[in-house]
Amino acid sequence: MIIALMFLGLFALVMINVPIAIALAVATTVAMVVTQGPDILPNVALVMMDGATKFPLIAIPLFILAGAIMNTGGLSRRLIAFASALFGFVRGGLAMINIGTSMFFAEISGSAVADVAALGSILIPAMKKKGYPAPFAAAVTSSSATLAVIIPPSIPMILYAVMAQTSVVQLFVAGIVPGIIGGLGMMAMSYWFARRYNYPVEETFQIRRVVETFKDAGLAFTLPFIILGGIFGGFVTATEGAALAVLASLVISAVYREMSLPHLKEAIIEGGVHTAVVMLLVASSVLVGVYLTEAQVPQKLASGIMAITDNRYFTLAILNVFFLIVGFFLHSAAAIILVVPIVMPIVHAVGIDPVHFGLIVTLNLGIGQQTPPVASVLVTACSVAKADVWDVSKVNVYFIAVLFAVLMLVTYVPIVPMGLVDFFYR
Amino acid sequence: MRVGPLLFRLSINIIFLLGDRPVRVAFSTFRGYFERLLEAVTIFLMVTLALLVLVAVLYRLSGHSLDWYDEVAAIQLAWLTYYGGALAALKRAHIGVPGLVNAMAPAVRVPVVLLAEAIVISFFALMGWLGVEVLQILEGDTLVSLPSVPTAFTQSVIPIGAALFIIAQILTMPEMLDEARKGKAHSATEGIEP
Repeated sequence: MIIALMFLGLFALVMINVPIAIALAVATTVAMVVTQGPDILPNVALVMMDGATKFPLIAIPLFILAGAIMNTGGLSRRLIAFASALFGFVRGGLAMINIGTSMFFAEISGSAVADVAALGSILIPAMKKKGYPAPFAAAVTSSSATLAVIIPPSIPMILYAVMAQTSVVQLFVAGIVPGIIGGLGMMAMSYWFARRYNYPVEETFQIRRVVETFKDAGLAFTLPFIILGGIFGGFVTATEGAALAVLASLVISAVYREMSLPHLKEAIIEGGVHTAVVMLLVASSVLVGVYLTEAQVPQKLASGIMAITDNRYFTLAILNVFFLIVGFFLHSAAAIILVVPIVMPIVHAVGIDPVHFGLIVTLNLGIGQQTPPVASVLVTACSVAKADVWDVSKVNVYFIAVLFAVLMLVTYVPIVPMGLVDFFYR
Repeated sequence: MRVGPLLFRLSINIIFLLGDRPVRVAFSTFRGYFERLLEAVTIFLMVTLALLVLVAVLYRLSGHSLDWYDEVAAIQLAWLTYYGGALAALKRAHIGVPGLVNAMAPAVRVPVVLLAEAIVISFFALMGWLGVEVLQILEGDTLVSLPSVPTAFTQSVIPIGAALFIIAQILTMPEMLDEARKGKAHSATEGIEP
């Protein structure tokens, strides 16, 4: 009864626009006082502190910082020039360049919003200038940016790993194949659009130009080797890899001599704010977790679902629908922090690999980043393109279909995400 | 007097006072300094956290791991959470769901916005008070890896962070009420996501 009232109170607080992190803490604190008395109150302050001291999550501000340095250091422009030389000869070349650069950027950054901000501000105006409709430019940029959370490193995966208590490195490895399939699928979809609407070719293919732009962007290509090579090779942890990414991006930006200190300062502040927003949610969710675990809610929920079905594939279908709905209304970070600890007992009970499930959650919430009303990545792309969200969504639905196909593949053909994990780690 | 009505009167007074130009200038000057202070702390924490992890990697690779690194870095993250959280409150960047409040008639919207503000401020007032209580409970305790550092020092972020959060909330409240009167509830729902 108290639990039901707690969730009702939480819902009411969220509906009157109390920030979700604070609504969670308020509802839980009230429930704790009602059931355990006011003596429990000092524990609230202690848990809110402990909840924020999650060592593995240090990778989040560091990856955000690395992305900020790369954005201000002239890296995006060089990557786009290389992708242009490589894919520009195809019909609809700028769309291919957009997706190709996003796939590469995803190997350095772990944030889809950062990806849109870094690449969209250059590519969307360029696409519009070449005659691409603004909704198409925004849709391609937005949906390909979601590859940043599927291809490692990925901030939602780091959050999931902490919440589900599983290996972040294995999650990163599991994201490689689905990320590449997603990118290629989006390129094929763009090509179909380009043929149908006769979008232009960018430039003729010249091997000399490919070599020149590769040399110009050469240092940028060392970044994925430093970050992912270090993490996958076992030389550094994910957190240390993130710190190396900061160092490497600083060195490379210094070599390119394009770094703007005022922009860098702004980016660090923005990164700090993003981190704090996510971490306050984490701290509050730990408080909720402590209370719900004492009340054995996740376990009761798991046994309730098990009473309906113990079939792994049917359970996955239920969880997929659930996470798709959650993705419509919650940001990926909030969704992972709130929902993952509650559903993990079900995942374990039906024998789903937590790493496999992590990919399913990430993809679902990646789709959620593209579906209004709460769709931060889509909205950022629309704001850069100065295009209406609904006009963009009409085009974006085709690219969401690609992401959905990858989700189905990942859910029901486990070898797609797990093949590399099994080969290297099991 | 209860916190809700007190806050209501406080905010009305602030809005009334802001009609006076010198007060408005002083208010916005203070807000500017406060924002710069929080930004400086956030930049300091972000940069030193990155440096600490890098130095720790170098030490580990040279075969001399820093045994205090994990504990100190995790505490730095907690500090970033609460000092950065106050800055996020000043920028109204915490994730919320403003849809229903936006759909309300202005006559209902303004009291609802005030209620939400009062709930947030009351919660952090409680956190601040509990934070001080906890400091007294933890008196004499030290960090496990650095016995010279008292736990009360690291935990001080809870009462200080709570106070900063309340100040940030009050400083931005007139703006929020103004927006509510004009027709929308502010939230960064569409802007913040990793």
